[in-house]
Amino acid sequence: MNVVLLALYLVVFPGFLFLLGFAWFAEWWDRKLTARLQDRVGPPLVQPFADFVKLLAKEDIVPEGVPARLQAALPLVAFAAVATAFLYVPVVGSSPFGAPGDLVLVLYLLTLPTVLLFVLGWTSRNVFARIGAVRAATQLFVYEVPFFLACLGPALAADTWALGDVVAAQATGLWTVLLQPLGFGVAIVALQAKLERTPFDIPEAETELVAGPLTEITGRKLAIWNLAKDIALVTGAALLVALFLGGPTVPGVSVEGLAGTVIGFAVFLGKVLLILVVLAAIRAGVARIRIDQLVTWGWSVLTPLALTQIALALVLKGVGWP
Amino acid sequence: MTEGRKEAPERPGVLLPEMGRHLFGRPATQRYPAEPIPVPKGFRGRIEVSDEHCIGCSKCALVCPTDCIEMVADKREVAMGERTVHRKKKPIVHLMSCIRCGLCEDACPTDPKAIYLTEAFSGAYGEKDVVVE
Amino acid sequence: MPEVELPIGPQHPALKEPVSFRVVVDGERIVRLDLDISYNHRGIEKGAEGREFTKALYLIERICGICSHAHATNFAKGIEALMGVEVPRRGQWIRTLVAELERLHSHLLWLGVLAHEIGYNTMFMYTWRDRETIQDLLEEISGNRVNYGMNRLGGVRRDLSAALLARALEGLHRLAERARFYAELIQEEQTLLVRTRGIGRLPRDRAIVLGAVGPTARGSGVDFDVRRDDPYAAYGDVPLQVMTSDASDVFGRLEVRVREIGESIRVAVHVLENLPSGDIAAKAPRTAPKGEYVSRYEAPRGELVHYIRTNGTDKADRVSVRTPTLANWLSVVEAIQGRVIADIPVVVAAIDPCLSCTSRATFVDTGTGDRSAMEWDDLVAYGIRYYRDHERLP
Repeated sequence: MNVVLLALYLVVFPGFLFLLGFAWFAEWWDRKLTARLQDRVGPPLVQPFADFVKLLAKEDIVPEGVPARLQAALPLVAFAAVATAFLYVPVVGSSPFGAPGDLVLVLYLLTLPTVLLFVLGWTSRNVFARIGAVRAATQLFVYEVPFFLACLGPALAADTWALGDVVAAQATGLWTVLLQPLGFGVAIVALQAKLERTPFDIPEAETELVAGPLTEITGRKLAIWNLAKDIALVTGAALLVALFLGGPTVPGVSVEGLAGTVIGFAVFLGKVLLILVVLAAIRAGVARIRIDQLVTWGWSVLTPLALTQIALALVLKGVGWP
Repeated sequence: MTEGRKEAPERPGVLLPEMGRHLFGRPATQRYPAEPIPVPKGFRGRIEVSDEHCIGCSKCALVCPTDCIEMVADKREVAMGERTVHRKKKPIVHLMSCIRCGLCEDACPTDPKAIYLTEAFSGAYGEKDVVVE
Repeated sequence: MPEVELPIGPQHPALKEPVSFRVVVDGERIVRLDLDISYNHRGIEKGAEGREFTKALYLIERICGICSHAHATNFAKGIEALMGVEVPRRGQWIRTLVAELERLHSHLLWLGVLAHEIGYNTMFMYTWRDRETIQDLLEEISGNRVNYGMNRLGGVRRDLSAALLARALEGLHRLAERARFYAELIQEEQTLLVRTRGIGRLPRDRAIVLGAVGPTARGSGVDFDVRRDDPYAAYGDVPLQVMTSDASDVFGRLEVRVREIGESIRVAVHVLENLPSGDIAAKAPRTAPKGEYVSRYEAPRGELVHYIRTNGTDKADRVSVRTPTLANWLSVVEAIQGRVIADIPVVVAAIDPCLSCTSRATFVDTGTGDRSAMEWDDLVAYGIRYYRDHERLP
């Protein structure tokens, strides 16, 4: 790809500007869905953008003794991490930045925000933030193993660590979700835990810990952090689409040129929105569990299921499937 | 206990069927002020005074639990039944202190009542005379 | 690990009103809990003592928005007892109807609040939507959604037309279906059960010793309900089943309230279908003879007690209000022992705390700004000294 197109990919579509719009659209989609499931009206389309603008205008209060520059930098680093991760996910075909092993890179970049959240909460000099930070770190250890294992499954099935190749393998074959439905289920639940949404919004349990690690974060920092959260939502969903639902491809269909790009993007969009519907239904449908219950359940149910899926995938590989 | 009804197993997401039903239906929200809200008859809204019926007896001001009715000087000839009353004062209701209990209306001796509960509830939205005295 | 103090309150998203829990935690486990409840003191008892009965009634009604009819009815029936006024049957039955409708809206509100405390916002939205049926009904009957102003000394102020009766029955039948749904929901929804079963244990003997009342006590198997055991209004004539649970934990309290929703609907329907004809109020005199009376009422949160002393004038000499939430606070302190932070909002919400009803006085030294509370023995000694000096009692 020549430099101009690459720059456009990076900055406009599906890079930076598109990503901003897509993240805010996804937040709206999630909030509107949750509202309709709850028999409410829900926010208008511009609401997430309006919230962002409003927060930018708010006063940035930093408590005494808190490392102000560190706390201002952390949301930006989180934003950079998840935005970079999105660049590697196939949106209209393989990403031009794709390389062997970029699945591992994406998984690593998606882990970064939680670690940064821990640091943010720990340095806030607020007891709610500190307890929330510890909970976030505890939760990290619980869901990260099943999530990595579940994402390992499609890589095993396609014999590659490159996201682009995993998608290409599904374009000529079956969607991974049909071969590894268990892994898909584990990945969805683990993604919900990674994104800290109900039933796993334990670090930020509003009725217990005010706002968890983000208690002392205001103004611009909070705006950027919320944006990073939205981008993480989109990236996580897009990653699952690429690994399990074939990304922007439809098996057997191959259209060239501009039409192909447009169709690919439409397919990708539809699949991501579908994943978001599932995540919204989970978020609205259950109550929050306790951190000790999550630890028990995660290690006794989620991780064994993920391991079972890997075992099954290896068996299938052994008999020559797919 | 559920008295013999077949108990379904414990599972998460029991509300999912109902949630699905609401997804494409009309939300339960009353979209006020875009849509008008139906107000039932007898709703306790603003207290209003009828200038042509009030005889200035001050009974309303006496019974008011919050003492929010102030009798101000106001002379007028008012017909009450077959008599004509020369009233000397009439009530002003300080709506910010009024609890809309309606004791003033119960105490008012005239027919039709000179001080009465209306169904006007919208006080803070665009109606300055209620908020600013 | 060093002890960490977590200030739950006076301002906290878990609390709807100000109360202060200074919780000392070790990791997530609660080591110690100190309770301070005097943030909402408004001087209503003193205000009621300076006003004529007709005006004091409206002040007492506003002690709480959710239990407003409870306070107003309890006070009214106390004054009526002192005056020797008998409320006509229709008036009593209408009071009972509004009382049960109030219990319904309070329990549905509580159900939503409990759901919100555990992050189950969909149930919160659904219960509050269903509660609107009751609110609309109360609005049609009394003109207000809360603080109904239905009571006057001697009876009630508004009557029900036949059309309104029919609409009320229709609304209650719709709600009965929803009540059955919620009764099933709480038995089946796993995420709700893991957050409430086994949490906040309060054995029956401890509940009695700590003076717990209402659904908090009934959820621990204490079979006491003022409506059945000291009937007032129409409760002597209306069939009533008192709901208890042997679970003795938060789930027990949840179960009791959900079943009380079904029972309140049944009682309200019975009242509507059998409403006697006649006057809705008797004429009450302006003054009450000298006397004292303890008036009890089963508010949605438990036993509400008003102590009223009159002295022959048109004002009460002393009004003392003991609300159910005040009696239930100690059971929170007991039930939360040994649990984790995540259980605090659940256990606190399980007693259905209404802090506007709770606040007691605190002693502030205006010179130093020190706040203090009195121990029981000091308070008894102080009271004896005070009445000896002021009323020249021996």
